[in-house]
Amino acid sequence: MLRPRGAFFERTIEPLELHVSEALIEKLKNEIAAVEHPRELAVDVMMALQDHHGYLSDAARDQAAELLGMSALEVDELATFYTFIFREPVGRYVIHVCDSLICWMAGEENIVDHLRQQLQIDFGQTTADGLFTLLPVCCIGYCDRAPAILVNRRVHGPLTNSRLDELLQKYRAEAAEKPGSNV
Amino acid sequence: MPTLTIDNRPVTVPDGTKVITAAEQLGIMIPRFCYHPALGSVGACRVCAVGFKEGPIKGVEMSCMVDAQEGMVVATDDPDAVDLRKHVIELLMLHHPHDCPVCDEGGHCLLQDMTISGGHGRRRYAGAKRTHLDQDLGPLVQHEMNRCIQCYRCSRFYQQFCGYRDLGVTGIGTRVYFGRSEPGTLESPFSGNLTDICPTGVYTDKPSRFYGRRWDYERAPSVCIHCSLGCSLTVSARYRKAVRHEARFNAQVNGHFICDRGRYAYAYASQPERPRDALIAGRPATLAQAATQMSERLAAIEKGTGPDGIALMGSARSSLETQALLARLHSEKGWRTPCFSADDAATRVVSSALNTLNATNTIALTEIEGADTVLLVGADPIGEAPMLALALRQAQRDGSRIITVDPRPVTLPCAHDHIAVSGDDLATAVAHLIIGALEPSREIALDADQQDRFKTLKQETRDIPAAAELRAIGHALTTAWRPAFVCGTTVPDPDVPPLMGLLQALVQTSCMWSGLFFPLPGANTFGAHCLGGSDALFEPLLAAVEAGQVKALVVVENDLFSEYPDQQRLAAALESLELLVVMDCVPSAITARADIFLPTQTIYEAGGHYLNNEGRLQVATPVIAGGLSIMDTGGGNHPPREFREDIPGGTPRPAWQYVAGLATGETDPPDVKPLLDEALTAGVADGERVSLPSASREWPSIERIGAGPEGDAGGLTLIESAATFGSEPLAAFSTVLAELTPLFGVTVHSETAQRLGWRAGDRIVIPDSAPALEVVVTLDDRAAPGVLLVPRRIGIDRTALRRYMAHLLAE
Amino acid sequence: MYPQVLFQHRKPDRINTFAEYREQGGYSALSDVIAGADPAAVIATIDDAQLLGRGGAGFPAGRKLMTVAQDAPHPRYLICNADEMEPGTFKDRVLLHADPHLLIEGMAIVAYTVRARHGIIFIRPEYENAARILEREIRLAREAGFLGEKIHDSDFSFEIVVHRSGGRYICGEVTALISALEGCRPNPRKAPPYPTDKGLWQQPTVLNNVETLAYVPLIVRHGAQWFRDLALTESAAGTKLFSISGHVNKPGCYEVPLGVPLSEMIENCCGGMRDGRPFKGCLPGGASTGFLSAEHYHIPMDYESLKAVGNRLGTGAVMVFDDTTCMVAATLNLTNFFARESCGWCTPCREGFPYLKDLLYRLENGMADGDWIGQVETLCGHLYKAYCAFAPGGVAPIESLLANFGEEVQAHIDLGGCPMQRQ
Ligand SMILES: Cc1cc2nc3c(=O)[nH]c(=O)nc-3n(C[C@H](O)[C@H](O)[C@H](O)COP(=O)(O)O)c2cc1C
Ligand code: SF4
Ligand code: FES
Repeated sequence: MLRPRGAFFERTIEPLELHVSEALIEKLKNEIAAVEHPRELAVDVMMALQDHHGYLSDAARDQAAELLGMSALEVDELATFYTFIFREPVGRYVIHVCDSLICWMAGEENIVDHLRQQLQIDFGQTTADGLFTLLPVCCIGYCDRAPAILVNRRVHGPLTNSRLDELLQKYRAEAAEKPGSNV
Repeated sequence: MPTLTIDNRPVTVPDGTKVITAAEQLGIMIPRFCYHPALGSVGACRVCAVGFKEGPIKGVEMSCMVDAQEGMVVATDDPDAVDLRKHVIELLMLHHPHDCPVCDEGGHCLLQDMTISGGHGRRRYAGAKRTHLDQDLGPLVQHEMNRCIQCYRCSRFYQQFCGYRDLGVTGIGTRVYFGRSEPGTLESPFSGNLTDICPTGVYTDKPSRFYGRRWDYERAPSVCIHCSLGCSLTVSARYRKAVRHEARFNAQVNGHFICDRGRYAYAYASQPERPRDALIAGRPATLAQAATQMSERLAAIEKGTGPDGIALMGSARSSLETQALLARLHSEKGWRTPCFSADDAATRVVSSALNTLNATNTIALTEIEGADTVLLVGADPIGEAPMLALALRQAQRDGSRIITVDPRPVTLPCAHDHIAVSGDDLATAVAHLIIGALEPSREIALDADQQDRFKTLKQETRDIPAAAELRAIGHALTTAWRPAFVCGTTVPDPDVPPLMGLLQALVQTSCMWSGLFFPLPGANTFGAHCLGGSDALFEPLLAAVEAGQVKALVVVENDLFSEYPDQQRLAAALESLELLVVMDCVPSAITARADIFLPTQTIYEAGGHYLNNEGRLQVATPVIAGGLSIMDTGGGNHPPREFREDIPGGTPRPAWQYVAGLATGETDPPDVKPLLDEALTAGVADGERVSLPSASREWPSIERIGAGPEGDAGGLTLIESAATFGSEPLAAFSTVLAELTPLFGVTVHSETAQRLGWRAGDRIVIPDSAPALEVVVTLDDRAAPGVLLVPRRIGIDRTALRRYMAHLLAE
Repeated sequence: MYPQVLFQHRKPDRINTFAEYREQGGYSALSDVIAGADPAAVIATIDDAQLLGRGGAGFPAGRKLMTVAQDAPHPRYLICNADEMEPGTFKDRVLLHADPHLLIEGMAIVAYTVRARHGIIFIRPEYENAARILEREIRLAREAGFLGEKIHDSDFSFEIVVHRSGGRYICGEVTALISALEGCRPNPRKAPPYPTDKGLWQQPTVLNNVETLAYVPLIVRHGAQWFRDLALTESAAGTKLFSISGHVNKPGCYEVPLGVPLSEMIENCCGGMRDGRPFKGCLPGGASTGFLSAEHYHIPMDYESLKAVGNRLGTGAVMVFDDTTCMVAATLNLTNFFARESCGWCTPCREGFPYLKDLLYRLENGMADGDWIGQVETLCGHLYKAYCAFAPGGVAPIESLLANFGEEVQAHIDLGGCPMQRQ
């Protein structure tokens, strides 16, 4: 039923240190300056920096704190609450497999088994080439397309093993074509 | 004022009282974890459930979330509520490590108590336990997250109550984690309260870790003597060692909490270097020998020079008993009036401050929490009186406006307006506030004379850069309902406190409530002032020593070197004495010079009475008999295999006992109570204020303000002021606090730094300093330009520092 | 087949554009209202239409608007709850992809009635597409003068921003959502004060579901009576979007009048049960409602009828199970969701769901021992005393498992494991 889960978020790859562009910081600063309460942009700022770094690294967290006038801890209080903010390094493509009722009924376990086999990783792990991270997620609101997964927050479904293979292939090709960032 | 019935007993409570508090008034302690009287109700733990039988609410509800209402009938033993409480505790214990045997909270743990009393005893949950990693939170607080029951008290206390932002809650669901982003020393100087406020053993007291159970300790109510606020403590001691201070609730003074300086200051009492034997000329002697020799030699000197040849030096950290007996010695023997501080500048300010206080304008610390405006002039709460900062924080959370007027870049854990004014201008600044309060046309009945004086004030008050802002604030003060006025007594000059008194008196006429609050330099400065008189200054005494008029000096619990800046002059003067008697419980530069040294007991052994900054009398009860800890004498064995009649290291006596011996010629302890009553506090009871003079609406002399020194535009001034850690003479011996004491540094405005050619982070080696002194430069534009700010630090070479700074100032 | 109101202009592959929406009479309601309608009269119409909140709790929308005091302070906020994280629910997503201007116009009208200055659409991060659509369409509406400063030269100004969540189920709960918007941890807060009194930034705040707000322009245009008449049953009013998923031939989101029997919905909209297998049960309104069993197959789907059988219409997310489904395993899956998403604020929920999950896991895997049913029952009972509505929602499936599928539970206990896996 509940399959064993790997240790969550093992560090398998070294984070790629990306420098946030001046333009992005400038843009965030302007957005923050335009609102009455900077904290209301906390999630947006974390997301923007995460998109840039691949995950919300300590440095990105500190940068978010500085931009928002919060302490590092206050940013962490939020960052660690939300599903889609990663405080540990993740692969270029984060695969979230929906494991809620409808997807489970539609064969989510097969999807997971297939992904495990193809990627040779368990939940919470990242492939050795740094391309894929596998995570479970709650109902993503695509029950009409079960079983469904998210890849970098983009939905795919209904899925079969062959459709999955195609997807992985597509992302591998994309990565080979455009090495570097996923943004 | 609704009346409700709880467990068949009626109780009437003020509107807005929660049922859990109403029950307390009947002596019924409803279980609670997340609720804390200082932090309020949040309804997170769900363990305070009770049954509501009649009235506006029915069924099982959380007693911490429901306001007491007329006609409510509450049953704390409602079967459904009891069952819920029991199961909530079962749930809280699911992941608990059951490590009570090695947990320092064991024995006084709310979770243990509730688990037993709630009726949960048999584990049913067979699933896996969630575990956490702990963090190193620094030298004061031990972290053990697995014991957490997620009551959120720590993060609420740390962030909301105290205003610090480096500890909180991360994660979600059953993985919520209370701690910091990364391991590291907690930034708040109130962090030790976490150990009191945590209902289980997540945060425990690190220095006393694994030392004993609550029931192993000897415990006694005591008073914190590490600043002038006099917070209430409970002291725990074991094996003749005081090892823990906890906050003791005091509704007037500290509420539920204390600061880390007070909590971790006790190490001086059991440090290995503590002098425990009498010395004659540096050689061990018995107490009797030393005492006899002291009396004989003093008698001989008195014979030669008359009573004037003997001077007495007390301190602000001594108990009232000791101070009173010094005063008695003076009156009995005719020796010189005792002097209680070697810092005359401070003594002058203190005198003028305390002469400003009267029976109606003095307020207590917790009253500040209720103020709607607080004006602080020349006061830096975090450094001088940390708990004052927490009171300000509570006021500010309630919407109060906080204004600091100071040459230093005062930082507070709450929003406040800061007006940088150079030290010499503080009196002028308050004069501007007064002018603002009286203008435009306030309906205050000034008589003709007062109007004249006001006119003079207006004409003669110098313009300063912040004048307009200050006048606006002064005017705003007249619309406040509950303004409080805080004035420091180390940085301002003596003109400032009476001016603050005048400002308060003027504003008083238009508000509901207002008052003055003066933090003082030492724990018993108030007592010293009452007993020593305002003219007991040190400079004349020192001059008399230098002139050979004073031949003998008796110094009681005062390291003059840490108070008097010119160490060489002081050393030379002491050298010229025929007899230097020193009585103390800690080693210092002066104990080493004593001809006769008498070891004194600490507050833990002797107890004593203390008057805090508002004149409130408080008693410390002795907690241990004194003597070397058997942890030390046993060489690791317990108990020590040595049998003798006396207690090793048990020689020290209360300082007042030695003084009494000199006064009466007896060595048996006299009854000090009559002495005290006679000296100052006729009839005042523990916890009450000494009677102060009644209010008079006299305008203080204002002539000097106008004529005040024209701060020459480019002038530099050196300000040495108290810091949270490292400034208080006793707490400075605490090794754990030493870890928290920042590098010694000087703070200046960036303009000033530029003039001096300094940059942030520069290290200045002070020439000819012993021990060698290095000063780190910090820039802070909230400081007044021209001010060089250094912390008071026990044990540094202040002469060399001053010499160097003077050379800078001269250039 | 059924009258389509919200989905009247739904296209298979794209949104109903701004131009199309206007041609269809869109924004006329807003224009009329702004031209000087009495806010109280508009609220009265909404109230009269008996529009119940479509976000799950079914609170009357008109009554909520009435609780904003006339003299309440400004600025006031209107929040659209597009968090939609209730498992099984995807109607808001479909609606936003079908006809986003219904929502935008609805928000503007509701804002007008309570004089809200700021509108915020709080949307889950998985709906990035919808968020972008909204941002684009809001811009179009603003350019056409339906949003912004002094709309139509009136003294009414209203702006809408789209706020993306970081993703957590609890963020959909009103007070937690407000905490989230304020950049705090999204823990719920206890009323009073109610959000309509002191909500976002301590200002009066009205919060409604996407679907609820989308009905408003239509009600204003066609009247309360029209709306009430849409429903089939006496007590109900209006149509409702149902997200139907699980063992049916055509899962999807369908607009159906309230009161249509469940069986009819499955047969008519979804093409019947998958592979023609028998209907075993369903969750009528998302993960935080109870299981209906086969005996309820013909129940009219409206608020009152479900209430009568101790259940709730919730969000109208109908999750259908055929006879191959192990109800214990399904409940375990749902409980796993609640255990994972509990915000961690209060004890019963934070610790209770993992405990229940462990118990269900044991039952499913033949490790149930002791007084299994008794333990589950007490735990569920105490979860009603949790801090917010999350926990009572989460126990609904478990309690209904015991009530409606007691035999299956007993079979698990007796057999020492799942009878279905043994087959
Ligand atoms: C745990 C929890 C999650 C919720 N999630 C949502 C949600 O995602 N969307 C929503 O519209 N309402 C959600 N609600 C209901 C809201 O609290 C609220 O009742 C509703 O948004 C009000 O809008 P309405 O009156 O238009 O239905 C949730 C409630 C709870 C207790
Ligand atoms: S019931 Fe309690 S823990 Fe659960 S979501 Fe609500 S507040 Fe959070
Ligand atoms: S004390 Fe009332 S819920 Fe915790």
